[in-house]
Amino acid sequence: MFRTCDITGFKVDLQSEKLIRYNAVFAVISLLFAVVAALLLVLTRYQPIHLLGAEWYYRLVTFHGLNALIFWIIFFEIAGLYFGSTVILNTRFCSPKTGWWAFALMVAGLVITNIIILMGKADVMLTSYTPLKAHPLYYLGIILFAVGALIGVILFFGNLMIARREKTYGETMPLVAYGLMTAAIIAVITLATGAIIYIPTFLWSLGLINNIDPAMYKLIWWGLGHSSQQINVAAMVSIWYMTSFLSVGGTSINEKVSRSAFVLYILFICLASAHHLLTDPGVSSAWKVWNTSYAMYLAVLASMIHAFAVPSSFEVAQRKWGYNKGLFQWLSKAPWGNPAFSAIILAVIGFGFIGGTTGVIFGMEQTNIIVHNTIAIPGHFKGTVVIGTTLTFMGITYYLIPLIFRRKIVGFKLAQWQPWLFFIGIALLSIGMIVLGQLGVPRRHWDNTFSGGPFTHNFNPAVDFFWVITLLGGIIAFLATLIWILIVVVSVFWGPKVNGPQDMQLTISPLPPEGKPHKGFEAPGTLVLTFLFLLVFLALFFLNWKWLAATWNVN
Amino acid sequence: MSLLSPKEGWYDTKVSKDEKMWMVIALILCLMMFVWMILWHVYGKQNPSSTTYRTTTTEFAQLTEAYIKRNMIGMDNGIPVVRPEPNSEVFLMAEMWRWSPVLILVKDQSYNFHISSKDIVHGFSLQPVNMNFQVYPGYDYVLRFKPTELGEFKIVCNEFCGIGHHTMIGKVVVIENEEDLAKYGYDKMKKAPEAAVEEGAEKPLTESEKVILGEQLYNLKGCVACHKTDGSAVLAPAWNGLYGKSEKVKESGKEMEISVDDEYIRESIIEPQKKIAVGFEKAIMPVTPMNDKEIDQIIAYIKSLKN
Repeated sequence: MFRTCDITGFKVDLQSEKLIRYNAVFAVISLLFAVVAALLLVLTRYQPIHLLGAEWYYRLVTFHGLNALIFWIIFFEIAGLYFGSTVILNTRFCSPKTGWWAFALMVAGLVITNIIILMGKADVMLTSYTPLKAHPLYYLGIILFAVGALIGVILFFGNLMIARREKTYGETMPLVAYGLMTAAIIAVITLATGAIIYIPTFLWSLGLINNIDPAMYKLIWWGLGHSSQQINVAAMVSIWYMTSFLSVGGTSINEKVSRSAFVLYILFICLASAHHLLTDPGVSSAWKVWNTSYAMYLAVLASMIHAFAVPSSFEVAQRKWGYNKGLFQWLSKAPWGNPAFSAIILAVIGFGFIGGTTGVIFGMEQTNIIVHNTIAIPGHFKGTVVIGTTLTFMGITYYLIPLIFRRKIVGFKLAQWQPWLFFIGIALLSIGMIVLGQLGVPRRHWDNTFSGGPFTHNFNPAVDFFWVITLLGGIIAFLATLIWILIVVVSVFWGPKVNGPQDMQLTISPLPPEGKPHKGFEAPGTLVLTFLFLLVFLALFFLNWKWLAATWNVN
Repeated sequence: MSLLSPKEGWYDTKVSKDEKMWMVIALILCLMMFVWMILWHVYGKQNPSSTTYRTTTTEFAQLTEAYIKRNMIGMDNGIPVVRPEPNSEVFLMAEMWRWSPVLILVKDQSYNFHISSKDIVHGFSLQPVNMNFQVYPGYDYVLRFKPTELGEFKIVCNEFCGIGHHTMIGKVVVIENEEDLAKYGYDKMKKAPEAAVEEGAEKPLTESEKVILGEQLYNLKGCVACHKTDGSAVLAPAWNGLYGKSEKVKESGKEMEISVDDEYIRESIIEPQKKIAVGFEKAIMPVTPMNDKEIDQIIAYIKSLKN
């Protein structure tokens, strides 16, 4: 059963649409859980308030980690994969019934895991490093969720096969679907790794296996924990290209380059788990240096290629629309009133300048010494997963509400502000945490005053200032997320129905006119911006190595 | 076009000048980072070591204990203080929830740290220097440290290790000469004569000797991290006035009342999870390897602690 979209002209399978809606709704519920916990956590770590007791602090760190990093993101990605494989490809959903089974498994996993955590039976953090042991149902819940997600990914491939056989998209798969496909391939690798580690751990928690080696556990767990972030990156970058197309009619200036960069993500995914072991015993330096980089950091290279390709897709389209003056008119005349567009631009900036730079620097063998397990690490991934992935998902939702839920966005003015507010909040939070970490503040730690310990430690007095920044950022980000959730919920359940193109609040751009062939650079503005990025990166790079050189000698 | 099939000929489109330029720069940067890490191994002074030994929690606990017994010069807040010789092997044990021993090091001298855990995964975080390493049970990580500055340093635990995680903090002091010891109150400390620490193997110990040895074990084995003797009971029951008291405990979920006697203490040391004192279910007591003689001494020590 299809409907033809009166706005985009795409054929939409009604079954698929329903699955997308339900998965998206559960994503939003998970995000709500995650941010409520996040607010309580930041209010606890800020010592003058110190809201929660130790027990509930650690419990909610676990709860926040799972809901934010697993449930919110994967529910949304499953919705995205269904969207990418049916709507974009004009095809039907291969097996809606199985889709509902997958959904049921994921919901069951979410419910079981969250209940067990809140009952206090699994205060083990997201990473649950053995020999810390949680209740068996905790591991079982995660396994159920992962099996559900895996089935969802398999259905995605099923849809691709149908689309290919029935030639619903022409000769070549569209770039967005291609990017999502790489995300799906990485998801299979990741979820398989997850099974390799969670199933024995589950058996161990039941007492059927005697011992799970902690170093082995950590190595394999990160094959899941970090590779899953590469799913996010691939999905996120796909959405970046999609937004460029929807908002200004842009596309990658060289699709071969963009597609090759996606392939690099798949090939160099194993890098991810190695850089979590840089300061660990058990593996040698040669192993660490080789496996974090494979000599040339090709996954980093892939992101840097997208860092040029995505903004240049906006730039080139804008120039074709006539915004050709100087280096940056394409940017100043961009559709800033479109919240999806501003969300994506801010996500690109935050992901690159905050998450990307720190990620690469912290992921080098020696510099890892000065940040490992400090609060700089969650600071770094607030820059990647939260400003990058979450803000991107928030942004694209502004298109999904009218196109998939067929509702107008209620409070559109607020929606135009929301990405900015969220960006400022998370940027402050992230930068605050990174600086605190560089000053030695540990992550996942209830009491900065070490009360009850035999000694105490006073951090550099500068931490007080950065704790205020962190608190401020956390509160702003919480409010921005709450606004987003309210807009989504009110629009989806009570918003006025969309009856045609006249009800679209976000523009959908037609293709830009063909540009005149010209000599010189295609995207000079983007090139300047990427050079700016390079300068920031190099500054941070040398700063970190300088700090490292000032520490004690160790070998 | 990203939602549509790309234009014909997309595969053969030439890469634009600026994009090519950026990709080449990016690749050079990526290669440089790889080379940089290797060069730092040659010219840099901070490199994680590749030396690890397989061990067990029991073996490492015994090694550390023996090491502390041999080299201890005193106590600092219930943690033994050790002053290792430069270039010697130093044992540092992480356990729930303390770092033991406290170390006195000399500036610009090297020490081979052996770091491992007695129970679960911990994080070694030297502050305010800010150097961080992972600590596993069963792996003895050998790191050759050379302190380059004077002063008092703390070892924070930065890997979540249970409800008492925030109380896990150790100490390292770096001195230049003997006079510096006074700054930290370590000037009066002397290495104990061997005999005082050595157990009287042949003739049976008197009760008061047992109490003294029991107190040493209390600090050495780390009981002090949770069991206090001043009546405060945050993570575990306090020991003063404990002996002879009746206590509520849970055995496999069932609540019951027992009286604290030799047998109960012995059982709690050997099988900590069997009977858990009500109100302390969260802080899981690890198994601490001890022989019968040592257990007797601990019992004697607890007996001696009155309210």
